[in-house]
Amino acid sequence: MSGLLRSRGTAWILIAAALALPFAAHAAEFPYLVRVGGIVGLFMLLGLGLNFTLGYVGLFDLGFIAFYAIGAYTTSIAMKAHVPAPAAILLAIAVTVFARLLLGISILRLRGDYLAVVTMGFGEIARLTINNMDWLTNGPKGMQVRPWRPLAFLAKDPNVQFYLLIVAAVLAGVAATRRLEDSRVGRAWVAIREDEVAARLSGIPVREYKLLAFTLSAVFAGLAGSLFALWEQFVTPESFVFWESVLVVSIVVLGGMGSISGVLLGALILAGVPPLMQATLSAEWINYRYLFFGLILVLVTLFRPQGLLPSSRREAELTS
Amino acid sequence: MTRAKALLEVKDLAQHFGGLKAVDQVNLTISEGEIVSVIGPNGAGKTTFFNVLTGVYPGSRGEIVFDGQPIRGLPSHEIVARGVARTFQNIRLFPDMTALENVMVGRHTRTVQFLLGPLLRTRAFLEEEAAIEARAKELLEIVGLKALGNDLARNLPYGAQRKLEIARALASDPKLLILDEPTAGMNPTESQDLVALVRKVRVLGVTVLLIEHQMRVVMDISDRVFVFDYGVKIAEGTPREVVSNPRVIEAYLGKEAA
Repeated sequence: MSGLLRSRGTAWILIAAALALPFAAHAAEFPYLVRVGGIVGLFMLLGLGLNFTLGYVGLFDLGFIAFYAIGAYTTSIAMKAHVPAPAAILLAIAVTVFARLLLGISILRLRGDYLAVVTMGFGEIARLTINNMDWLTNGPKGMQVRPWRPLAFLAKDPNVQFYLLIVAAVLAGVAATRRLEDSRVGRAWVAIREDEVAARLSGIPVREYKLLAFTLSAVFAGLAGSLFALWEQFVTPESFVFWESVLVVSIVVLGGMGSISGVLLGALILAGVPPLMQATLSAEWINYRYLFFGLILVLVTLFRPQGLLPSSRREAELTS
Repeated sequence: MTRAKALLEVKDLAQHFGGLKAVDQVNLTISEGEIVSVIGPNGAGKTTFFNVLTGVYPGSRGEIVFDGQPIRGLPSHEIVARGVARTFQNIRLFPDMTALENVMVGRHTRTVQFLLGPLLRTRAFLEEEAAIEARAKELLEIVGLKALGNDLARNLPYGAQRKLEIARALASDPKLLILDEPTAGMNPTESQDLVALVRKVRVLGVTVLLIEHQMRVVMDISDRVFVFDYGVKIAEGTPREVVSNPRVIEAYLGKEAA
């Protein structure tokens, strides 16, 4: 099963399916599907980012959405200052990474539940700060973002344009994550999760590697936030509430901590199903989605704690 | 016996926890190529001594000179990089990694590839990865676990887990290997096996310092023995000298026996 998932063939089929989605949506006269696909893609990016800390290193982070917000707002502010969009994306990533680095330096000596509480607090502080810095963020009224049309040569519909851009970002994210996973750096992270003392006494500078994973995760959050702002052309603090952080944690836990394919599946289910049901059934039950997330998490923890698609360790050739 | 070069010199080392002198006034020297055992009753400070040597505790006083350099108070990973590796009394592997990966992690201090190498899959990165894997396989073979390389560490039998810990420690190319009760919980056959492995390790040019409770193993394997009691080194010498030392008998069996 996991061998199948790691094979190149499966990867190409999934990529083809992702690229075929706009055509399917067009054929089915259901353009909303492309928007859902884009949202799922953004949450895949967030999940891949959180997977560095929660998945590989085992750091419980309940405020990840704050960095999505920092990415989105940095982009919005840069766009307002007439920075070209690609530069705004890069700037957003840089600012997000820097913010994450500063937070990491100050809180990474905490462990487990304590870290969870502090990151949760940071998430709320970030949102409230954005909410109250009217002069910069326009507060609760939100910010308009200057329109930007990426990949205009590929599609006319901006939703399709952003969808394709997000797919590309997810592919790049998966490739980068997988490469790091199969390296000395990835092994060091997992070793820290498995046994911090043994990792330290195997020669790994634990503090630095935790900080590295914590900081790198912000590349994904910043990128996702930036694409979100450019796509929606509007950001408000409302989009970055605590529950969104919970959603990202749920994605990683449901899929399988430290498992790339698990994170992708988790995002597909938790970020994809609710908007689809909202569109096809009634708008009302979306209010109950966290009830279902809670139920799913409890069930997964009880019956499949390793997640739906747990990570498999690399098999080496031993016979030579 | 002509003395080889001193590899480890411990001078007046102490580790206090509040009023408790877990390790106090310890002076000792270990020469290159020796196999040295530390024995003593439970609570004598043996593991604490190892923890200070490997940077788990900072030490309260004194000096540790390893290979000519002071190392007391350095972070553990730095001490590993200088050439001290260890195993644990309660096995501490990375349970959800394969046996081979456990050993590959141990290679950390001897490798350099960082973010860009793996991200761009540079030639230097691929070569280093291949070298890490080759060395890890070699070490698995030395400890006799090559066939189990793809098994998760958690699924290995107890004796194999002990050996895997040694392989992981050896992966850092240590000059000094510290083993904390390597035969704990082993039956006589497994212990014999481990003694053979420790000898093999010495042949590879590694000095070995171990805590050991099984006297048969201690007598069999050690060039010299240090005896600890209440945090203080009470005796040292060859295994024969040590077992006939009245202070040692007293520590183990009480005053009357001595």
